[in-house]
Amino acid sequence: MDMFAQILSSGIAVGMIYAVIAFGFQLTFATSGTLNFGQGEALMLGALVGLTCVDTFGMNYWVMIPIVCLFGMIQGSFVELIGVRPAIKIKSEFGWIMSTIALGIIFKNVAENIWGRDALPFPAPLPMEPMNFLGASILPMEILVVVGALLMMLLVEFFNRKTIYGKAVVATANDRDAAGLMGINTSMVITFSYALSSLTAAFAGVLIAPLTLTGATMGGALGLKAFAVAIIGGLSSGMGIIVGGLILGIVETATGFYVSTGYKDVPGLILLLLVLAYKPSGLFGKSAIKKV
Amino acid sequence: MNIRRHIFAVAATAMLSTGAYAADIKLGVSGPFTGGSASMGVSMRDGVRLAAKEINAAGGINGNKIVLVERDDEAKNERGVQIAQELINNEKVVATLGYINTGVALASQRFYQDAKIPVMNNVATGSILTKQFPNAPENYVFRNAAPDNIQAPLIAKEAVEKRGLKKIAILADSTNYGQLGREDLEKALKGYGLTPVAVEKFNIGDVDMTSQLLKAKNAGAEVILTYAIGPELAQIANGMAKLGWKKPMIGSWTLSMASFIDTAGKNGNGATMPQTYIQSPSTTAKRKAFQEAYLKEFKPKNNNIASPVSAAQGYDSVYLLAAAIKQANSTEGPKIVAALQDLKTPVDGVVITYNKPFTATDHEAIKAKDVVMGVVENGRVEFLNAEDAKPKKK
Repeated sequence: MDMFAQILSSGIAVGMIYAVIAFGFQLTFATSGTLNFGQGEALMLGALVGLTCVDTFGMNYWVMIPIVCLFGMIQGSFVELIGVRPAIKIKSEFGWIMSTIALGIIFKNVAENIWGRDALPFPAPLPMEPMNFLGASILPMEILVVVGALLMMLLVEFFNRKTIYGKAVVATANDRDAAGLMGINTSMVITFSYALSSLTAAFAGVLIAPLTLTGATMGGALGLKAFAVAIIGGLSSGMGIIVGGLILGIVETATGFYVSTGYKDVPGLILLLLVLAYKPSGLFGKSAIKKV
Repeated sequence: MNIRRHIFAVAATAMLSTGAYAADIKLGVSGPFTGGSASMGVSMRDGVRLAAKEINAAGGINGNKIVLVERDDEAKNERGVQIAQELINNEKVVATLGYINTGVALASQRFYQDAKIPVMNNVATGSILTKQFPNAPENYVFRNAAPDNIQAPLIAKEAVEKRGLKKIAILADSTNYGQLGREDLEKALKGYGLTPVAVEKFNIGDVDMTSQLLKAKNAGAEVILTYAIGPELAQIANGMAKLGWKKPMIGSWTLSMASFIDTAGKNGNGATMPQTYIQSPSTTAKRKAFQEAYLKEFKPKNNNIASPVSAAQGYDSVYLLAAAIKQANSTEGPKIVAALQDLKTPVDGVVITYNKPFTATDHEAIKAKDVVMGVVENGRVEFLNAEDAKPKKK
């Protein structure tokens, strides 16, 4: 029982890390039908900028968070303006895929040159002593990741549903042309959704950095897992992202324990293949019919 | 095509003749100067630079200056292969020093073997490195690092003999390095009639070691033996702290990497590993001189060499090669190899004094008796056994 509780709690913590990154994929997909494949790199940049604030400028962890969020917004807008907007303008079906991947690689190289390629420790804002909960050891930091991720997603949902600007986002997501005719500056909304998506990634970066290690290569593996979560959960459902993240996190940890640590990554990927084959819109996604 | 070949031939002769005129001895240096293994690669390179500078300042090798041709192999096999070909064909190096990563060495060495140019491995530890070409009439691969088949028995001895721990878990990464090392560890444990209670794997970049550690814990492991590199080793130490399950960690020499010590913090205290060299003020005169010169020249952070073992072995590798070139009085590969296999004068190195370090059948300079156990204490590697800290009697 203790073992099971431990696997469950570790799986949830890892799963929420994936979910919070996957959430960013969903934000841009909703408004523009495009994804930022440099999402992992946005997370890495957020974590490294945060590390510089905390380590070099001696800033408090909590003071640093808004700065990193602001940085994330700027970085996301930059990606949209340079990589995505031109592709949307010429109605290139897949141009944005290559340009967001290319920008991701550029960001990684820049980060390698500024911060080096070594993994760096990130000072934790909470004590790193484990707490005992139903027989499982949990770090306070893991709880912070779960709570922080949920809080951030709730905030974004609240923004979309209750504010006038959020309604513009939702309108653009539903029908870009109609929203444009109603006087909504849809390209502005798309830029904003990219800014918001990189903000969530940068925030996720500083949230998880004390648990993982920080470094130029941290985005790659996490970004890929988060992408799988976005597909499994469904790119149009916030709820699906959370459930997808939890499923992948728990399945990975459980497989590692009950089957073999060498095959830890396999079931998640099999699940991804199954979802793609039988329910391409994701477990919780609405299936959309594309008119030709 | 013919004309181009002709021009190339003329250019090559011109290059060769000017090379001979200037009488520079070109040595290749290949290692990762960026990336996860960079702390080892850069320390090695700096050790090599220091030795080359000293030799040149003292008049070079038989009056000829050493020129280093340094290349960053990024710990990638394909980069290592490209660099090997470039160093051999374009730079015409006399010999190459380096290789941090066993995989890169295995991929690149065949080019040197075919070109009859010696390679001096100064950091990579995979046991088969110097035996990669068993059927070749002459072996051009040498090493002055402690191979895994020396380290693994020392790790097993520390756990089983010294500490009396019988229930053993092995955690190794899924790279060539981790899996070859795991085989050596299992072989060493078999010598004590022991089978590990858990053998677990993880990938480079994994952020959560909970399942691996839980399996070890569930199997009742009393000690964790590791074969991996810095960042993932730190995840193991941090994961154990998280589970509140503190067991000794004993592993290969990579537990002395800065990326383990810095990122594991206090969770890394007590980690034990074999070392050929430990940065400490109270050892032999040669070591003291080396430390002072290194710290003065490269000014590492907090006066801690990022990877002292790599720096010392890198430094020694130049002196070993220089001694052979001097004795051979030639820069031809076969003659250097013949000299290396029969060094007439002892080489006073930082790690040890090399007295006939190589023979025709044994290309390993470091023997089990030259390796001591180190332990991580408050951000530094210290001697595990106090008697090792005193200068050894020759």
